[in-house]
Amino acid sequence: MSAMTDKRKHYAICKAADLPPGQRIIADLDGRSVGVFNVNGEYHALHNRCPHAAGTLCMGPVTGTTLPTEHGAREFVYGSEGHILRCAWHGWEFEIETGKCLIDAKVRAKTFKVSVENDQVVVHI
Amino acid sequence: MIDCDVHNDWSSSNVLLPYIDTTFRDYLLRGELPGARGSFPHAHRPWLHPEDFRRHDIKPTNDDEHYSFMRENLLDRYKPDVAILTGEEALEVSTLANPHYASALASAYNNWVIDTWLPRDDRFWASIIIAPQDPQGAAAEIRRLGSHPRVVQVLASHGSYRPYGDKFYDPIWQACSEVGLPFAVHLGGQGGINYQPIGGGPTTYYWETHALLLQPSMTHVASVISNGIFERYPNMMFVVIECGVTWLPSILWRLDANWKALRKETPWVKRLPSEYARDHIRMSTQPLEEAANKQHLWDVLAAMDGENMLMFASDYPHWDFDAPDDMQLPKEWLPKIMDGNARQVYKKLPRQLVPNDTKAGVMS
Ligand code: FES
Repeated sequence: MSAMTDKRKHYAICKAADLPPGQRIIADLDGRSVGVFNVNGEYHALHNRCPHAAGTLCMGPVTGTTLPTEHGAREFVYGSEGHILRCAWHGWEFEIETGKCLIDAKVRAKTFKVSVENDQVVVHI
Repeated sequence: MIDCDVHNDWSSSNVLLPYIDTTFRDYLLRGELPGARGSFPHAHRPWLHPEDFRRHDIKPTNDDEHYSFMRENLLDRYKPDVAILTGEEALEVSTLANPHYASALASAYNNWVIDTWLPRDDRFWASIIIAPQDPQGAAAEIRRLGSHPRVVQVLASHGSYRPYGDKFYDPIWQACSEVGLPFAVHLGGQGGINYQPIGGGPTTYYWETHALLLQPSMTHVASVISNGIFERYPNMMFVVIECGVTWLPSILWRLDANWKALRKETPWVKRLPSEYARDHIRMSTQPLEEAANKQHLWDVLAAMDGENMLMFASDYPHWDFDAPDDMQLPKEWLPKIMDGNARQVYKKLPRQLVPNDTKAGVMS
């Protein structure tokens, strides 16, 4: 990588074709573990370090979840399929696109910008 | 640093076939199992974890990986000096109605852990698992293996047929006391003959239930103290593993108050229940309660003398794992909780190296 400051470092992760929708890659970027996800054709990157207790967030299942129901209704409405990442340790749920934790939006997993350049998936840190 | 709750799992209960008594080998080989071949004979609890009770970043597919993943994710990463193995499903023998089969399975597990796990790593120390519904068989097992140099405790599930201070279990306490090993209960065994794991009737959801599963451990604490276990076996320690900790001061306050008025009911109890607890009961930390205000948690822990009563446990590789480098405890308590207290309880462990030189302090 170039000798630019950390903030502008670009890391080529893989060919875009090697990260199809629904898949993820976990990469070590100069000692920082980062998960790169393809959610319906869009790429998103999250720090593989959970804001709860520093667990391996990005190694958990990518899934959907039950949406909150109103007025205590005992109903199950399943949604957000493919948009939810459950931490591999204690299972806190995070929205992949924003890093927001479903139980408390103030709890956020760190996200990184991802672009596609020359057919390469590139993470900006 | 000492990790008091490390789960050594298998890929298939078939690993026990070479280690089980011939009569019961047929049961395990051809008998009914609760799942596919290779599942372990037990009555499962009626609450199923909706996402699996194991961590999702650790998925061993064979027996070698059970160890190599543990080495990578626990032993070499956090560098405990001691990992006390607590088995996995073997604890669930306590749910079986047939005490003979239950004891045979427990013995097979103990043979297996001694033969295959202990030689793998010099950080390993073993618990031997007993079938508490078979007190005589359990006592024989304790006498058979209690003097093994790497066996440090006798373990049963906290889900139980009766409270553990009950007369029914006298042979177990007697045998533990003879061989000088602590008796420990670990969260589990909430099914089959242990039919009352939740007071008030069965709860509905896993997370709801998991928060309440500690209930039988309250029963056991009250039972062992009121039944005078520590008067009859003054060398005994009772260890409560994975049952939460902050309920202890509350229960001890209540027991103390009641004993003052009604001592006559149990003339063998000569001291305050809280004094027996202080001298004879230890609790493992995981899963340590997570308080919004850390100080509130620490105040409760101080009320139970947490610095001296608690022993660190990670519960690797389960979903409610506590990482040793992220313990929300007062720094000055860490040398004892992360190391010193367990060495007092598990007397076969080597003494601590140098006072004040603890890895726990560095990691805090
Ligand atoms: S570390 Fe991720 S949920 Fe606890």
